[in-house]
Amino acid sequence: MTWMHRNLLDVDVLSREDLEILLDQSVHMEDLLNRPIKKVPALRGRMIVNLFFEASTRTRVSFELAEKFLGADVVNWSVSGSSVTKGETLRDTAWTLEAMGADAVVIRHPMPGTPWYLKEKLKRASVFNAGDGAHAHPTQALLDVYTAWKHFDHSLDGKKIAIVGDILHSRVVRSDITAFTTLGAHVVLSAPRSLMPRGYAHLNVPYEPDPREAVKDADMVYLLRIQRERQQDGLFPSLEEYHWRYGANGELMRRAKPGALVMHPGPINRGVEIASELADGPESVILEQVRSGVATRMGLLYLCMGGAEA
Amino acid sequence: MKTVLFRAVRVFDGEQFREGLQDVLFCQGKVERIGSSLEAPEDALIVEGEGRLLAPAFIDLHTHLRDPGQVHREDIVSGSRAAAAGGFGAVVAMPNTAPPVDTEAYVAYVLQKGASAGGARVLPAGCVSKERKGEEMAELGAMAHAGAAFFTDDGSPVKGVRLLLNALLYAKDLGVRVMEHPQDVDLSKDFQVHEGRCSALSGMRGYPTAAEVIGITRGIALVRETGCPLHLTHVSVAQGLREIRIAKAEGLPVSCDVTPHHLVLSEEDVLESHLHAAFKVSPPLRSAEDVNALWEGLFDGTVDAIATDHAPWNLDEKDVPFNEAACGIASLECAFSAVFSAWKDRGCPGSLEAFLSLWTSRPGSLLPSREEYRGLLKEGSPAYCTLVDENLEKTVDIATWKSKAGMTPYQGRTFRGWPLCTLVAGELVYDALSGRAHG
Repeated sequence: MTWMHRNLLDVDVLSREDLEILLDQSVHMEDLLNRPIKKVPALRGRMIVNLFFEASTRTRVSFELAEKFLGADVVNWSVSGSSVTKGETLRDTAWTLEAMGADAVVIRHPMPGTPWYLKEKLKRASVFNAGDGAHAHPTQALLDVYTAWKHFDHSLDGKKIAIVGDILHSRVVRSDITAFTTLGAHVVLSAPRSLMPRGYAHLNVPYEPDPREAVKDADMVYLLRIQRERQQDGLFPSLEEYHWRYGANGELMRRAKPGALVMHPGPINRGVEIASELADGPESVILEQVRSGVATRMGLLYLCMGGAEA
Repeated sequence: MKTVLFRAVRVFDGEQFREGLQDVLFCQGKVERIGSSLEAPEDALIVEGEGRLLAPAFIDLHTHLRDPGQVHREDIVSGSRAAAAGGFGAVVAMPNTAPPVDTEAYVAYVLQKGASAGGARVLPAGCVSKERKGEEMAELGAMAHAGAAFFTDDGSPVKGVRLLLNALLYAKDLGVRVMEHPQDVDLSKDFQVHEGRCSALSGMRGYPTAAEVIGITRGIALVRETGCPLHLTHVSVAQGLREIRIAKAEGLPVSCDVTPHHLVLSEEDVLESHLHAAFKVSPPLRSAEDVNALWEGLFDGTVDAIATDHAPWNLDEKDVPFNEAACGIASLECAFSAVFSAWKDRGCPGSLEAFLSLWTSRPGSLLPSREEYRGLLKEGSPAYCTLVDENLEKTVDIATWKSKAGMTPYQGRTFRGWPLCTLVAGELVYDALSGRAHG
C-alpha cells in the first residue's frame, strides 16, 4: 500500500487503507511532538500558504505548527470577507500565490466547494481544505478518528458514535461521518429537527431525535458547537431550552457505555451543548483532539508533500 | 426572401409526419409546396436533405438576450444568431434587462433590433409591472399593441398577488399570455442548490420543493378565480407538475414549460462536479425523481413546451466559487441536441411527433394569435423550418458558439442529433450543411 494523494479536499477520497497509513504516520508524528526538539527537515524549502477567508484561530495555528515542525516556510494570508468584497477574485489570488512559488495552499473559506475551485485554478500547488462553509472539514475528521482510534486500541470497527448538536450548519459532521464509517464505526446523529438538514436521509446514517436514545450504549459522544446566531434565526427557542433538551451532562452520559469518550471540535460553549462537569471530566478527550490535530496534519502534509520531489 | 427547396426530407409538419420523403419549396416567405420530386425554380437555393428530418423551426418561449443594458453577456444579435444555430426560428426575449422592458418603446426596440439581427425572430416579452418592481401594472395595452408576445416579471415572480390577479384579468382581452416565474422568495431566500440530497451533502442553503409549489398553486388559484390564462415557466419539481395536471384536468387555462437542463441534468451533477458554478441555476437542478417526473409530463399532456431559459453570463460572473456565481445556464446552441440525446437514451418515450411538437406547434400555440409563425410547416405556413440530422454526433464547445456566454455545463459533452439548417422568414439564416455563409 502506498499513499497516492497530493491534495486533501475531502475525506471521501481516502480508502480505509489510506486512512490506516495516515493514522500510522500520525503516531510517528506525535512521537516527534513529545521530543524536546520537535523540528524535522522533511519539508525544508517548501513554501506553504495558509489562505484563510474566515477567522479560525485553532485550525490555522494547528496547520501552522504542523508546517513549521516539518521545516516548511509558512505564510499566513488572511482575508476578511469574500474575495468579491475584497475586490480580487479567488482566481487571481490563486495565481498570485502560485507566482510567488507556493508549493501548497491550505484554504479555509465560508463558501462550500471553494477548495475544489482553487485546485482547478492552480497548476502545481497542492491544496488542503481547512473547512469550506458547512460542507467539509477533512483534517478535523482525521484528528477525530485518530484520537478515537488511539483510545480504542487501533480499531473503530463496530464502535457506536453519537454525534449530537447543530448538524445542519456543521462542516465537521459531514467529513466525520465519512471518516468514521470508512473505518467501520456506526454513527448516529441527534439534533432538534430544525437543526438537521432536511435531506438528512442522504447522509446515510441514522437520525435519532431523542439524544438519550442516540447515546444509548455509545462508545463515544461527539458534541457539536451551537452558535448563538442560530437561536436568532428561529431554529430553536433559547440556549437554555437547548441545553435542557440536548445539552450533554453526566446524566446523559450514564446512558452511554461506561467510560465512553466525549469529543468536541471546539471552541466549546460551556452550559450550552456541554456541561462543564463533562468538558473537564475524565472521559473528555477535547484537549487530546487539539494535540492530535497537529500530529495528523503533520502526517498528512508529510505524506502528500514529503519524499520525492513534486 | 429567397426561394429555397429542401429535397428529400422527412417532413414533420408540427403535428405529424408526412409519408415518405418529400421536397419542400419555400417561396416569397411561405411554404409554397410540399410534394415529391418538385421542380426547382431557376433562382432556388437547393438544400439536399438526403433523408434527414425537416421540422418547423423551433420556438423558445424563454430566452434571456440581456439587451438592452447587459450586452457584455449577450445582445439581440448574438442571441438571435445563437438561437438560429440551435435550430430555433423564434425566441421570446425576457424583459428583465437593464432597464427592464416595461414600455411600448422598449418593446419596439427589441422588435426592431431583432428584425435585422440575422438569426431567429425575436419576440419581446414585456414586464407585468413597471420597472419589474411588482407594484404597479405596466402599460400592458401599449406593449401588446407594440408587439409584446408575453407579459412576465421573470427573474422573480410577480410580487403582489393582487397585481398578478389584475394582470391576468387585464391581459386576457389583449390576447397576450402572462408568464409566471413560480417561486416563494421567502422560503427560497439565499438558496444555492436543491433542498434535499444536494443541500444535505454540500451544506449549502436549499431551495425547497415547496417554494416552487407555492408559486405554482398561487398562480393556479388565480386562474381558477379569474378564468384567465396563465403560463408557468421553468417548472422543475414533480409536485409542481402534479398541481398543473390537476388544474388542466379541471379545464383551467394553465400551460407550462420545462427547461432542457432540468430534463438533462440533476443535483447529482452539482455534487459530482464538486459544486461547480456552471451548474448553478434558478430553480436549481433537482432530484432524479423530479427529472423523471418532468419526462413523464412531457408525454402526458401536462407540459406544453420545452423552453431553454438560456441565461448567458460573462465568464467573470461564472468563473468564481459556487456561492458567488450568477444563476443561469446558457444552452441555445445545444438545447435541442442535449434533450434529443437524453430522449433517445431514455428509450424514446412518447413518440418523435410528440417530442418535436414540444419545440414547435405547442409553444407556437401559446403565442398571441396575431403571430403568423406558430410552429407549423404546412402549405401556406410562413417560411420557417429546421433541418435536423438525427445521427450527427458533435461535442459541445462553447468556443465555437455565437452566444457570448462564457460558461455552459454542457461543455465537452457529446450529443447525437443536431440542427443543420434554419430557415427564418424565408432566409436561410443558419446553414452548417453546405458551408455557405449566411447572416
